[in-house]
Amino acid sequence: MTPAAVSAAEDSAFEVTPEDEAQPTYVEDLREAATELWHFREMLYQLTLRDVRIRYKQAVIGFGWALLMPALIVLSGCLVRYAMTRKSGAPLDLAGIASISVKALPWSFFVGTISFSTQSLTGNLQLVSKVYFPRAVLPLAATLGQAFDAAIGALVLVLVLPFLDVHLSMALLWVPVLALLLFLLTVAASLFLSCANLFFRDVKYIVQVMLTFGIFFTPVFFEPEMMGRRLAALIMLNPLSPLLEGLRLAVVQQHDLLVPLIGPDGLVVWSPLYLVYAALWAILGLAASAMIFHRSEFVFAEYI
Amino acid sequence: MSTASVSFRHVWKKFRYGEVHNSLRDLLPALGRRLLHGRSQAAHDLQSGDFWAVRDVSFEVRPGEAIGIIGPNGAGKSTVLKLLTRIVRPTRGGCTVRGRIGALIELSAGFHPDLTGRENIFLQGSIMGMHRGEIATKFDEIVAFAGIPDFIDTPVKRYSTGMHARLGFAIAAHLDPDVLIIDEVLAVGDAAFQQKAFGRIADMRRQQVPLVVVSHQLDRIAQLCTKAILLNRGRVVHSGTAAETIAAYVNTTSSTADAIASDSATRIESMFVNAPGEVPSGGTITVTITGTVRPNWTGTRESVVLRVSSVETGAMVFSTDTALNGMPLPHAGPFTLEVDLQLNVPANVYTIQSLVLDTLTSREVFPGPNAQVNVGAGIAFTGSVQMNPRLRLEEGARAGAAGSSASPVA
Repeated sequence: MTPAAVSAAEDSAFEVTPEDEAQPTYVEDLREAATELWHFREMLYQLTLRDVRIRYKQAVIGFGWALLMPALIVLSGCLVRYAMTRKSGAPLDLAGIASISVKALPWSFFVGTISFSTQSLTGNLQLVSKVYFPRAVLPLAATLGQAFDAAIGALVLVLVLPFLDVHLSMALLWVPVLALLLFLLTVAASLFLSCANLFFRDVKYIVQVMLTFGIFFTPVFFEPEMMGRRLAALIMLNPLSPLLEGLRLAVVQQHDLLVPLIGPDGLVVWSPLYLVYAALWAILGLAASAMIFHRSEFVFAEYI
Repeated sequence: MSTASVSFRHVWKKFRYGEVHNSLRDLLPALGRRLLHGRSQAAHDLQSGDFWAVRDVSFEVRPGEAIGIIGPNGAGKSTVLKLLTRIVRPTRGGCTVRGRIGALIELSAGFHPDLTGRENIFLQGSIMGMHRGEIATKFDEIVAFAGIPDFIDTPVKRYSTGMHARLGFAIAAHLDPDVLIIDEVLAVGDAAFQQKAFGRIADMRRQQVPLVVVSHQLDRIAQLCTKAILLNRGRVVHSGTAAETIAAYVNTTSSTADAIASDSATRIESMFVNAPGEVPSGGTITVTITGTVRPNWTGTRESVVLRVSSVETGAMVFSTDTALNGMPLPHAGPFTLEVDLQLNVPANVYTIQSLVLDTLTSREVFPGPNAQVNVGAGIAFTGSVQMNPRLRLEEGARAGAAGSSASPVA
């Protein structure tokens, strides 16, 4: 689509170019995808509303659903930590429970979103093969629906944390930044995986396995520094790790994320570079997956 | 660029038979092949497993015009609509549509069974590109049009099929599109609703909204469209006014499609129907068929069949044949068959198709000519389609019979 056509918002005349003509540049492509998405923002809103509504319609525990998953993660985390403290002798304190709670919520958001959005395109076959709309609406709606649940969870967390000895601090200002990065990273993964699953149906099985075992490679139940220098560094390579650890340090330890934190044994617990690393993953990942998604969405109807 | 609202310029679209690699296991060999052979050739040539669903199709629709797209199943009509609505992209050629497209295609694709009618109106409306405010202002109109005010807060899963379809149509019909695309949705709901739906489309037509209609209901095409194209196997085989194109379609239908001209012993040479203009419903016509049987032993097991089907739906309403009536064809030589048919059918256009059937294998071994009969209003139609056929078979050529052949496809 030419820039002139993009600016003329209401007269959405379009020219379909054959598949083999000169490809537009990346920036043009991304702008076109964003413009299309903006035109269909109402559909995104309605689909999110649909997902939220049907989850709570005819469901016995209703909004409890939003809390069940994170609560189970916290419970199993406490159990694992309790077992660990029995061996090491250092008791599981309130800060430990607070750490697990703070990290369980974003983890359950990530897991929930990925498992829903991976099948968001193939699960809406009727729509994808019969109606035109920017296909990114489907994985995005799945993400927003989970974000709604996460928001309820966050609300409850805010009420619970004071009892776990967590107090207000300036470091809490980091929370929105980390939440935004987590959201972008999750959207990037949703777009890529939903698109991949449309072409290759075994993707959803791989994703299931990854999500089941991912909790062992992501610091939810534990802190990376418990693993020793080398393993800690490896675990921090997971783009989710800096975000979860950042949340824990900012909320529970009241640590300013611009300042590096070195443990008693000289181990780097936190470095601002971690934040840069995660941000690069989120932003570049989103740009790349949005590009892949947009360039392949024109053949979705033929391959689904 | 022209002022056309819709323009299709030499559009080609390639599809694939069978499965595309749908799991990662199949991807690796495919990537390997691509590395070896390069991908440059891929776009334009047919590779094994590919076929052209649409070949070199061009047409234009300007404001105030309406185009009908007709053709047998598999002709490429739906693909043309998918290209128009941007669901798929052309392999070659260009396709332009100006303004908002209203597609009366998959009317309730976005409905969720657990949501109420009200919630689904907003959902489906947004999928079609409407905004909340727009839907809200038209909400009452939509509900009234669908005729479901009492059920608007009931989950759609408890709706009857008709209510479901009516609601879908009502939402789509209130879109106020710049271009309207209609695919086989004129048969939604009961007769009264169909009339209402058709009226709504005719209104848009009067408001100069350009229209693209795909339908097997040829009378609807004739009523709505200023022009039409006939597709067959992806190609435009006829293009002209709606009436001309429909005539071209009716005359080619069924005879060319699947019949196999094999080594049948019997050949039908002509068919003549004494039906000047319109025949009143309940009236009787006489169909005269001449043919020859080659000296061949299979002749005795062959039978001449007459089939009457509705042009509108393509459904066969009556059939009769010589074997069924205990009239074996001659062993060899020419013959003349006269069949009286009482047209106990509702007023409509019908095709009479002649063919030769191998009674042993039930295969159609020879496609004969077709003719068309217009049945008008007459005596009250009694209900059962029984045409009380009376057959007369004569051996040998009959003077004059062959000369009066007036079949349109002879």
